[in-house]
Amino acid sequence: MELSGPRWKGKNFAQIANSNPMSKIIAQLQVCLSNSESAALPIGTDFLLETVPELTKLLNRTSFGRQLTTSYDSKQYFQLSPEETFYLHHFLKCLKVSIDNAKLIDVNDLWNFMRSRSELFPIYYRAYVHLRSKNWIVKLGTKNGVDYVVYRHHPALVHSEYAVIVDRENDKGEKEGKRMRIWSDLHCAVRACNGVAKAVLLLNVMGYEVNFSLPELLERTIVDERQITRWVPSQCRDDCKLEGNKGEHH
Amino acid sequence: MDGYNSSLPGSQIRLPICPNNSYCCIICCFFVLICVNLGKERTEVSKARWVEEIGMAQVIEKKGSLWVTTGVIRNGNLYCHIEEIGYLAQIGALVLLDEVDNVMGLKDIFTKCADRRYGCTWEFFEAYRHLKSLGYIVGRHGQPWSTKHDNLKPNSDFTADTGFIADRIEELQIGAANLMFDIHRPNSKFKKTDPGAPSFIICLVGDWPPRREEVEYLEEKCKLVPLKFCHVNHGDVRFFSFPKVSLPVLP
Repeated sequence: MELSGPRWKGKNFAQIANSNPMSKIIAQLQVCLSNSESAALPIGTDFLLETVPELTKLLNRTSFGRQLTTSYDSKQYFQLSPEETFYLHHFLKCLKVSIDNAKLIDVNDLWNFMRSRSELFPIYYRAYVHLRSKNWIVKLGTKNGVDYVVYRHHPALVHSEYAVIVDRENDKGEKEGKRMRIWSDLHCAVRACNGVAKAVLLLNVMGYEVNFSLPELLERTIVDERQITRWVPSQCRDDCKLEGNKGEHH
Repeated sequence: MDGYNSSLPGSQIRLPICPNNSYCCIICCFFVLICVNLGKERTEVSKARWVEEIGMAQVIEKKGSLWVTTGVIRNGNLYCHIEEIGYLAQIGALVLLDEVDNVMGLKDIFTKCADRRYGCTWEFFEAYRHLKSLGYIVGRHGQPWSTKHDNLKPNSDFTADTGFIADRIEELQIGAANLMFDIHRPNSKFKKTDPGAPSFIICLVGDWPPRREEVEYLEEKCKLVPLKFCHVNHGDVRFFSFPKVSLPVLP
């Protein structure tokens, strides 16, 4: 199915985005973060990272984490979600993490730490990797009643196109997630998201088993992408596209 | 009202029974207007006779152009399924007779619609009615609009149809998602003898949204024809599709 086009927030923003490929900015972030002494620390369910202006700029440009507003100028602070922290640490191999404020931990310990805090962490991380590795910007979707919203480039330049719901099934093809189990879940998601011009994207992490190691998670699971669209027959009878469009609300 | 043509004719309808602007009158008017729109008196009323053996009715008096896109042709005769009868009877375009030529009322027709013996359920009928009232051409999935046979025996044309109905009944009882309708977009050039490929196929889904596996299985059955899923909930008819997508890798 043909994907609908992005809604850029200003004239020429598409050209600005094209001239600044996200993959390049992320590469710059990797270098900067690798050279930084700063380590992320657990704070609540998230992670806190103390940064300096150059790193701050790159984290903002790649839209990782949320900068905490402070009056303290020489240092800045970012709050990173577990997926963002693990992605920067494991996939991009550039973020240091310290759990007990002393020594730095390695990827296996961090994996176990994340899993001990949330049994669904592997599923969400798998979905996060799937999206971020294609260079889409991924932010939390709580406002829209979904797991994530994804942007084609920086949220300052473009509106998000997809509201993402993460689901899962085991290696027998049996649905295990609790999402979209009843019809009102679908009606609700589509209505809420179409009302803000976002298509609903269902990411199904397939083949997951609870005892998977990190490499197994990435190698043995597949992420299936399906859109959930509503078709309103009274709105489209003739030769127009019969698939529901983003932004229709009925 | 979703599914019904609620547009009024140019002049305002005055209702002598409701001269006041009270809550009661407003509610009363609302329902009268709906009934006025649905129950418009028709001058062209066709007649059909129910044939229990085949679970369909044979059209014995054909009036109007609606038959271009309704009913199936079997060896030169026109027959219609119970959902077609239900819809046409509800809008006053068809009178259904029983086998001894008594007129069958809407209650009996609606009951037959809901009776799974004729390959239909109430929800199936509601979905049919919704689409038909919007001008779509709706046929049962996989059933030809027109067939011909030489050397016909009585009811020999219906072997395939009754077999089809039997399969459908079995599927309906299982309650899984089922391919139900082949839909053509509104088309004044539609011909039963050469309908062409459907614009899309409708699958009626039960109490639960379809699982990914089911969606994939049904998509395969539909081959390249787009598939839409229909959920009917107490008369509310909604359609969804679950197209496979692939987010592009961005620069």
